[in-house]
Amino acid sequence: MSQTAIEKVLSRISGRPKLQAGDVVNPVPDLIMIHDGVVKSSKVMLDKIGIRKLSSPEKVMMVSDHDVLYGSAKAAERGSFNRQAAKDWGVGQFYDVGQGGHGHIFPMEEGQVLPGMFYFDNDTHATNAGAVGAFGIRLGLEISTVLATGSTWFEVPKTVRICIKGQLRERVLARDIGFFLAKLIKLGAIPVNLDNRVLEYCGETQQFSLGERVALCSSPTEMRAVGIFIPPSQQILKYCQTHAKKSFEAVYSDTDAAFESEHELNISQLGPQVVKPGAVSNSVDVSEAEGVKIDHAFIGSCGSGMYDDLLNAASVLKGRRVANGVRLFIVPGSQKSMNRLVQEGLMQIFLDAGALVLPPGCGPCNDAVVGPLAAQECSISTATNSNAGRFGSREAKLYLGSPLTVAASATTGQITDPRTMDVDAQLIERAKVAYD
Amino acid sequence: MIDFNWILRGRCYLLGDDVPHADGVIPQQFIIDRETDPQVLAPHLFALTDPDFVKRCKPGDIVVAGRNFGVGQKSTGYIAMQALGLGLLCESMPTQGYRGAIHAGLRLLANCSGVTQVCQNGDELEVNFVTGLLINHSQAKTHEYVPMPAALQEIVAQGGGEAWLKTWALEHVASSSSKKV
Repeated sequence: MSQTAIEKVLSRISGRPKLQAGDVVNPVPDLIMIHDGVVKSSKVMLDKIGIRKLSSPEKVMMVSDHDVLYGSAKAAERGSFNRQAAKDWGVGQFYDVGQGGHGHIFPMEEGQVLPGMFYFDNDTHATNAGAVGAFGIRLGLEISTVLATGSTWFEVPKTVRICIKGQLRERVLARDIGFFLAKLIKLGAIPVNLDNRVLEYCGETQQFSLGERVALCSSPTEMRAVGIFIPPSQQILKYCQTHAKKSFEAVYSDTDAAFESEHELNISQLGPQVVKPGAVSNSVDVSEAEGVKIDHAFIGSCGSGMYDDLLNAASVLKGRRVANGVRLFIVPGSQKSMNRLVQEGLMQIFLDAGALVLPPGCGPCNDAVVGPLAAQECSISTATNSNAGRFGSREAKLYLGSPLTVAASATTGQITDPRTMDVDAQLIERAKVAYD
Repeated sequence: MIDFNWILRGRCYLLGDDVPHADGVIPQQFIIDRETDPQVLAPHLFALTDPDFVKRCKPGDIVVAGRNFGVGQKSTGYIAMQALGLGLLCESMPTQGYRGAIHAGLRLLANCSGVTQVCQNGDELEVNFVTGLLINHSQAKTHEYVPMPAALQEIVAQGGGEAWLKTWALEHVASSSSKKV
C-alpha cells in the first residue's frame, strides 16, 4: 500500500502498518524535546498531580536556548529550577546554557535528529527536523502529557507537495524561497491551506545543502504546517551517517501516495525578498523596501542559524563596518558553529565589522529577552516572523530578509539589495559546502 | 465516561468566517497573561464583540462558526467555552486551536462543512458529538458531520487534558515510588 513519508514514520512507531491521513494514533516518539522556557510550568503541573517520574526519561532532551544570558534575577532563578528539574527527572540529555545551542539546530548537526525519526517537542519550530527527513511535532504545554505517559494523540496529517523548479540565482538564498512561498499562499496563487498538513518539497531539491534545507522549513511553519519534509539527498545521508549517534533508516514518500495536492514553484527568476512588518507572508521584492532606514539588525534564529548563514553574512561584512547608529547581533545556532567561527576566521570579520556576537540560542527572536527595540525603531533580521511586539515594543517596525540582505542592510543603515555589493566570493563558495 | 453527556441541546449562536482567537473569542490580555482559570475566563467569552453574550448564553447552547474559527495558535477562550457548558461546531479551525480545545475538554466538531448555511442564529439545535448528528429542530432538518475521533473522546469526557492526566496518575503513579496522598 502506498504511503506518504509521515504515514510511514507514524506506522513504524505506532505499530499500525497501514496508517493513512486522518487516522488518530498514540505514537511512541523516538525523542522528547523540551526547552528552558516551559520546563517550569510543566514540572509544577506534574508535581501538583503527583507525577514525579517520567515515562521514558532516557528519551528526554532538555535544551537551553530561549534565554541563555539571564538578563534578570528571575531568569537566573528559572535556570536554577531547570537544572534541578533535569536532575529530579533524570533526563537522558540536559544541555545547559553554553552547551549544545539551539534545540532545532545542534541535534541535527550532531547526528541526534536523523532521517526517518519522529519526536514530540513543546516548540513550534521543531519542524526544522524536515531538513534531514525527520519529523518534529509541536505540542505546546501538552508536552507534559508525553513526559508523563510517553505519548499523546496525534492525527496523521495530509501531505501537500511543493515541486521546486529551477535553480537559485546568485545572492538569492533559501530563506528567500520561504518568504516568496508564504506570499504566494497568502495571495492564493498557490491555493493551499498548510494548516495541519505536512509540506513536502519535491522536484529539484538535490541542489539544497543542509543549511538551505533548514531555511526552507521556516516560513511554511509560520503558515501553520504541522511538519516539513525534504527527501534526504545522498549528500544529506552522507552527512548524517558520518555524525549519527544511533542507527537510522531514511523514509521517502511513495510516488503514488495519496498527496492532497501538488503545486509547482519556479525559483529560477526569484530575487531577494524582504518581509514587511506584520507576517511572514508580507514579502515583496527587495526593490520595494530598499532605502528603509534601520536601527537594528539580527542574523540567527532557527530559520538562519546554520554555519552557512554565518559564512554568507561574513561574505558581506568582510572589509566593511556596520553603519553608525545600527546595532547588528549575530547569533550562531550552535556551540559547534561558535567554535568554527573562531577557528575559521569569521569571528575576526564580525569583530572588525563592529557586530555583536551573542552566545548560541534563539537570540532576540525569543520575545527579545536580549536585543530588543524601542518604539519607532526599525529592524531587519532573519527572525522567524515579523509580528508586532516580537522584538520588544509593539510600535517598532520589523522587516525580515536573508542573511545576505540583512548583512548588506546593516552596513548601509538602510534596507539594501545584496546584489548591489561586492561580496567575498570565497566565503560564498564555502557556504555552499559548509556541511559537506 | 458513561455519565458524560455527549448530546447538547440549546440555541445556535452563529458566527462567520475567520473569527480571530485574540479579541474575537477572548480579549487578548488573557492570552498574554497565560490565564488558564475557567472562573476568571468564563465571564469574558466574546466580550469585545458581544459584551452581553455571557449573560444570555445557557449551558447546552451551540456556537456555530465558519471557516478558520479562532484563528491564531492559542486556545485560551475554549477554556471559557467549556466552563460555560457550550458546544462548538465550525467549518474549520487551526489545528493548534483544535488541540487546545480538546485539552480544555470542549465538546466540538471542527469539520462541519457548510454548517453556517443550515443554521440561523437562535435556532434550536441538538448535537451528538459522538455520532456527528446535528438536528436543527427549528428547521426540522438533520445533518451529519465527522464525529469526534474515538481516541479523543476519553480526554473530553474526563474534562480535558489535565483532568485526564490526574486520572491516569491515579492508575499509574501508585506503582512508582511516589507517595499517594
